[in-house]
Amino acid sequence: MFTNYLKIAWRSLLKNKSFTFLNIIGLSIAFGVAILLSMASLFELSYDNFHEYADDVYKIYHSEQNPDGIEATETNAIPFAPALQEDVPGIHKISRYLDDEVLLFYQDKELVIDINWVDPDFFTMFSFPIIEGNTRNPLKKENSIVITQKMATIIFGSTNVIGKTVDFLINGKKQPFTVTGLAKNIPANSSIEFEAVGNFINNPRYEKLKNRWDHSNHEVYIQLQQGMQASQFEKNTRAFTNIRFKDNIEDRKRDGALPDKNGQYIQLHLLPIKDVYFTHYQNGRATVSKVFPYIILGIAALLLFIACVNFMNMSIAKSTARLQEIGMRKSLGAAKKHIFFQFWSESILVFLATLSFGILLSILCLDTFKSLFNTDASFDNTVSLGICIGFILVFMSVTLVAGGYPAFLLSKLGTLQALKGKVQVNGRNKVRDVLMIVQFAIVILLVSGTFVLRGQLQYMKNKDLGFNKEQVISLPLNGKRNSYQVVRLLKETLKSNPNVISITASDNNLGRGRDGSQSTSRLGFDYKDHKVGTHMLVVDHDYLETLDIALLSGRSFDRNFIADSTSVVINEAMARELQEEDPIGKQLEVISDFKHTIIGVMKDYNFKDLNRAIEPMTLFMTNQKQVKYTYIKIAPSTIAHTFDSIKETWQKLEPNATFLGSFLDDNIERTLKKEKTMTTIITSGAAIAITLSCIGLLAISLLVVNQRTKEIGVRKIIGASTVSLLVLLAKDFIKLVIIAFVIMVPIVWWYSNQWLEEYPYRMELSIWVFVSAGVLALSIALITISFGTIKAILQNPVKSLRTE
Amino acid sequence: MIQIEKLKKSFRTEEVETLALNNVNLKVETGEFVAIMGPSGCGKSTLLNIIGMLDNPNEGYYHFDGQEVGGLKENQRTKIRKGNLGFVFQSFNLIDELTVFENVELPLIYLNVKKSEREQKVRQVLERMKIAHREKHFPQQLSGGQQQRVAIARAVVTNPKLILADEPTGNLDSKNGIEVMNLLTELNQEGTTIVMVTHSDRDSHYAHRVINLFDGQIVTESQNRAIGVQL
Repeated sequence: MFTNYLKIAWRSLLKNKSFTFLNIIGLSIAFGVAILLSMASLFELSYDNFHEYADDVYKIYHSEQNPDGIEATETNAIPFAPALQEDVPGIHKISRYLDDEVLLFYQDKELVIDINWVDPDFFTMFSFPIIEGNTRNPLKKENSIVITQKMATIIFGSTNVIGKTVDFLINGKKQPFTVTGLAKNIPANSSIEFEAVGNFINNPRYEKLKNRWDHSNHEVYIQLQQGMQASQFEKNTRAFTNIRFKDNIEDRKRDGALPDKNGQYIQLHLLPIKDVYFTHYQNGRATVSKVFPYIILGIAALLLFIACVNFMNMSIAKSTARLQEIGMRKSLGAAKKHIFFQFWSESILVFLATLSFGILLSILCLDTFKSLFNTDASFDNTVSLGICIGFILVFMSVTLVAGGYPAFLLSKLGTLQALKGKVQVNGRNKVRDVLMIVQFAIVILLVSGTFVLRGQLQYMKNKDLGFNKEQVISLPLNGKRNSYQVVRLLKETLKSNPNVISITASDNNLGRGRDGSQSTSRLGFDYKDHKVGTHMLVVDHDYLETLDIALLSGRSFDRNFIADSTSVVINEAMARELQEEDPIGKQLEVISDFKHTIIGVMKDYNFKDLNRAIEPMTLFMTNQKQVKYTYIKIAPSTIAHTFDSIKETWQKLEPNATFLGSFLDDNIERTLKKEKTMTTIITSGAAIAITLSCIGLLAISLLVVNQRTKEIGVRKIIGASTVSLLVLLAKDFIKLVIIAFVIMVPIVWWYSNQWLEEYPYRMELSIWVFVSAGVLALSIALITISFGTIKAILQNPVKSLRTE
Repeated sequence: MIQIEKLKKSFRTEEVETLALNNVNLKVETGEFVAIMGPSGCGKSTLLNIIGMLDNPNEGYYHFDGQEVGGLKENQRTKIRKGNLGFVFQSFNLIDELTVFENVELPLIYLNVKKSEREQKVRQVLERMKIAHREKHFPQQLSGGQQQRVAIARAVVTNPKLILADEPTGNLDSKNGIEVMNLLTELNQEGTTIVMVTHSDRDSHYAHRVINLFDGQIVTESQNRAIGVQL
């Protein structure tokens, strides 16, 4: 019996080549894209799941009550972790984690490498397998390091590295470190990344800060004891924070901060390691948002849905041609189940073929997909037994619904009805109409989503950030020399280049440079009996001038004023934070018994990502702290040429350091990575959704035309025009697009508003965005329908009547 | 074999109710060949469909082989139809995607007959219908007469007690029409009961008895003296 089903299925598919082709193309694309998108989504969702103790390991953060709200911070003081372990029961293991970089020497090699300073528990808390050396406790001894296979190859050219010694430049002196462990390369889905790991007590600032509670610079991870609940542990820390942060809490009380509902001014919280990748801080609490991977998964499901709707509609519409066959089979003794299984087996055949094509398509497109969507997802790091079973279940459900529904409809037909071929399964079918409305609603959703995302991205790209991003190159000072010395040498060397306008430096970058680093420093101090918080930036002369940041009052740093090393320039937000209308000349006691005088107020500029409002900023000009980036403003005329000559100069000054210079507008673009990836995904999703819907619409319109050939002929003979015939055939579909539009617009409007709320700088959401999406969907639908119907409309009516 | 009493069948649209069969009484004995005639719309095909258990009457009794079948559900009717009834249609109703052999084999598949036995039975009946040389052809590759021979082969392959033929020669030229009627006569002579709807006077002469329907009622019944005359 089954062979008979397959045989007839195969022949029937061959007989209807164009529909089979459209069906196979649509479903194959949908399966291929769904596989790739699901892979990207599952990869995102798998972040940090590979740790054996992932359920017990947490990152610590603090919620701190300020007079103007709650603030969250992840950084801790060096004595914090040992004290916490001593005072609060329930900790099984604990490790501090300081992200740093260091200049490494090995034989004649000099490399700046990323290094993380951690406590010895690190390797037993996290599952980063040590494959050679001391596999249990590689950081037991001081001056020992663990490096990854990748770093071993970079430094030593091999992975046979245990016992080898390298030198690090720490506090200006070379110190020897011995490789005691070789770690497997870090999985792509790890939020903790490192190439080299050293013992925390070897970090350059350890000795100086080891007893200081007022200086925070690293994160802390803990593994709770078996049976200890995170919420209970958080409660247990209250007494600890009240004692250890006593002064800090007193200051907060004095400034008018209100305690939280438990009476706490500082509360420690535990953030599960599995949530770290998805966390951002809002109103002083960690907010875990997995929306992004679920949106990707949602788009995959929507595309699959559209393709399945096409399949169902085409199968039902096509079945008119087979009514007599069904009737005949029934009169020959076929029961409902026979008919159902026959049509279902046809669907399974199509689905199996399209799944194979889809898998092939996903393999072929994987590399393009990875670069387009900025993902490290691959079959290796996502495919597992569970995923395979899940995938098979999804496939079977899709086949059961999309293939089973038409089969069920056909099996339900009465024998006589089918034999007479009178059943209107292809006519104004309600289920078909609903499915098509949903299909167009998805298209409108994705197209409007594309418009909104692109609009916002464009808005952020074009926004005046308050500084010159087009003409300024930012260059990380990643060489061996003292950074002020390099800046001075650069200034001297480039002085003769007429295209270099000015040069300055600071200790933090603007946007995200090619070194991938992005950070700001914050400090808090008392001012006129209240606590103020500000970002701090150490800058060199000409900072405002080089970046074209407007000065509102006072003056900028000036070489002629020797006392400027104790002067500061603040932004408007800081002036508000100080509650001073005219802050010029006012003094800030940032460090006890040491006063900084405000000499200028600059206009607010976006020194952080565009999804953050501008916060208070204070510029210092102290050579106590090294600068890390130099900014070079160049003339707009010969940009490429000047860039090359700067690169050449840099390579002469720092022959061993890589040139990582980039224009500030590129740095800003890099900070919009999330938005860009999202835009790419939604745009591609919209394009594929449109293509799939068009395939379905084309097939249905061809079938409708086929059934109405005689009607078209008769109407033409009695005088119908081409346009009126097109309207006649298109109006039913156009109605569906309009219904989809009316249903979808308020939903998309609401969601877009919600999403834009996250951005302090956002585009104006105009109704035209949605109207354009609707018009686009409508135009595409019209063009597709015309494409399928125009031939029949233009045909000689005599011929169409004869055909009939 | 067939006993119909006070049979009524009406069709209802949104506004109008049409009475297709009104108080029909009919008896068909085993081995009989009955022709049903009448003008278009008189209810011939409706009667044939009810006899073939493709449709149910609204009122009245229908006994098939002593069993009341008038009110049975679709799946029960399917069970009785299987193996007992064979159908021959004016438009042949062969399945385009199946070869001649596969079309004829189909009813045996639904009867769960073993493959080897199926092959033997299909070959026998194809030989008999003189169409065995076309067994691998698809219906569109055959002439109308050949297609109707395949349809008859399919109808008889299960050795049904009753063959229902709905204008079996309606789409055929006279030569092929005669061939088809001779085949039906042959089957009847071997003991198969045949009920045939026809417009053709000539075809009606092959039957033992001709029933004339008008406006859903049997108006006349006549016996043919010269049965199976080779016209």
